[in-house]
Amino acid sequence: MDVSKLVMIFISMVFVNNFILSKFLGLCSFIGVSKETGPAVSMGLAVTFVTTMSSIITWFIYRFVLIPFNITYMRTIFFILVIATFVQLVEMFIRKTSPHLYKFFGIYLPLITVNCAVLGVAVLNSQTFFLDRTVVKGSFVLSLTQGFFAGIGYCLAMLLMSGIRERLELVEVPQSFKDVPLAFIIASLMSLSFMGFSGFKF
Amino acid sequence: MSSLWQEFKKGITIENPTFVLVLGLCPTLAVSTSVQNAIGMGAAATFVLLGSNIFISALRNFIPDRIRIPCYIVIIATFVTINEMVMKAYFPVLNHSLGIFVPLIVVNCIVLGRAEAFASKNKVINSIFDALGMGVGFTIALIIIASIREFLGNGTIFGIALLKGFEPITMMVLAPGALFTIGMLIGIINFYHLKKKTHKEIKKVGCNGCK
Amino acid sequence: MGGKNAQREGENMQMLRYGFVLLIICFFASLTLSVTYKITHSRIEAQAINEERDSLAEVFPGATNFKDAVLDSNSYYIAEKDNKEIGYVIRVQTKGYGGLINMLVGFDINGEIKGVKILSHSETPGLGAKINEVRAGEKVPWFLKQFEGKFAKNLELKDTSEGIQAITGATISSNAVVSGIKKEVTEFISRLKL
Repeated sequence: MDVSKLVMIFISMVFVNNFILSKFLGLCSFIGVSKETGPAVSMGLAVTFVTTMSSIITWFIYRFVLIPFNITYMRTIFFILVIATFVQLVEMFIRKTSPHLYKFFGIYLPLITVNCAVLGVAVLNSQTFFLDRTVVKGSFVLSLTQGFFAGIGYCLAMLLMSGIRERLELVEVPQSFKDVPLAFIIASLMSLSFMGFSGFKF
Repeated sequence: MSSLWQEFKKGITIENPTFVLVLGLCPTLAVSTSVQNAIGMGAAATFVLLGSNIFISALRNFIPDRIRIPCYIVIIATFVTINEMVMKAYFPVLNHSLGIFVPLIVVNCIVLGRAEAFASKNKVINSIFDALGMGVGFTIALIIIASIREFLGNGTIFGIALLKGFEPITMMVLAPGALFTIGMLIGIINFYHLKKKTHKEIKKVGCNGCK
Repeated sequence: MGGKNAQREGENMQMLRYGFVLLIICFFASLTLSVTYKITHSRIEAQAINEERDSLAEVFPGATNFKDAVLDSNSYYIAEKDNKEIGYVIRVQTKGYGGLINMLVGFDINGEIKGVKILSHSETPGLGAKINEVRAGEKVPWFLKQFEGKFAKNLELKDTSEGIQAITGATISSNAVVSGIKKEVTEFISRLKL
């Protein structure tokens, strides 16, 4: 297994092509939940969990169902149904087994189904690691890594954003720019600074 | 007749999915790099909206309430896939520009949101006009944002160069420019609402509120 | 006792109803998609093939025919004129500034480059993206036109007539293209001769 490929994926997903700051996947929940650090971290972890697991599950589906039966055009339907079902099951499981864990990040789970980031990374995996219906070597590990680090990138953006917004609560901001518009402008500056990571060669 | 026109108009003005309901931001920001892409995405989203609204409204008494979300998802995903295949076959350049956001229309809050909030509770004919209104409203919003970004970032609108000797601000067609543009636009809209005391300032972003 | 049984039966009926509705919807969805697929897929595949064929003619204008071939599990094309082998077209992939740059390079049996075409790239618009910029009134991107007539093993980024002039402010993108072509073409030629 080519470790340098995995490191490239790490750098790419977390910094250069950060899902939120560069690709805009997961924006709705990002703006909504990043006001305080506590919920932001919980949401970030929940998203990472879902992206990783759905990368695994969708890989199996693409590899053993869609390609052999030659129905890759059913990708969107299969993926989204699988993701929705998985999230539903996990939520029910957590609610029954650990109310503490549920309070920590279970309540964000239903929100994540419609999160562009989850379906986005699944589709990205199928496009990057399956070329013309042939399986790229090591695609399982690559897909898993990409899914995991996409979530970590989301976490990082959430953490940074919530830290900044918590500080800004103490400052006077023009009324019309409070909350949402300011969050976008902060995100724009963060995105600009993250652009400094591009061109990273390995 | 006039009520159908109202259904259509509201999607463009008082319930504009982008500037009022603040739904479907992910594709809005990603696709508004040029007016051409904006129109393409708007058309695709309108097609999906139309198809899914029609079928969900027609089947609204047949689908049991408890499983409505999975059913809606299957119906929406079907139209998204049809759209994807038609685009790949007849508009490959546009398909390449819109990239990953073609299949992502299925999680576009606008589509699921309208299905849940309107099509499941109204007649087919009303749902058709609602879908058209929302689709057109979305397209217009996309065009507005794309015009600003394409002009400032590339000196062109729809590929036609407008000013000579204008050194464009490349950042505008990249990620930071998108976030900055939408932030400024929402700020300006809020300012307008505050001045007119309509109490309709944008406080929440879409998907959190549509569930 | 009877009441509880009736209730359980009612619930079971409900579950059956749910399953039935989902099944019907999924069935019609699959049907619709299969039909759409049948209608569109031949056109989609034809698109891909046409695109590639047109590109081949662009990077090797003198050839009348192209043949598929494989070398060490990498596919390439043999350019022919009147059934005589006059050159080759290979795919070159190189790490650019913003991601991978995919190109087609046509060269004759002596290694002289006939044409370069960029298939995809993720370079920065206005800077690195200028590697694919076509000036008004021209057909081929000016940066790529510089490669025509030069030999792969002599390629270098230099501001002379024998060298390749870089794009201002986009040295990394320019260098990626030059070094990628130089490396892949010379390697291909040496492997073919073996």
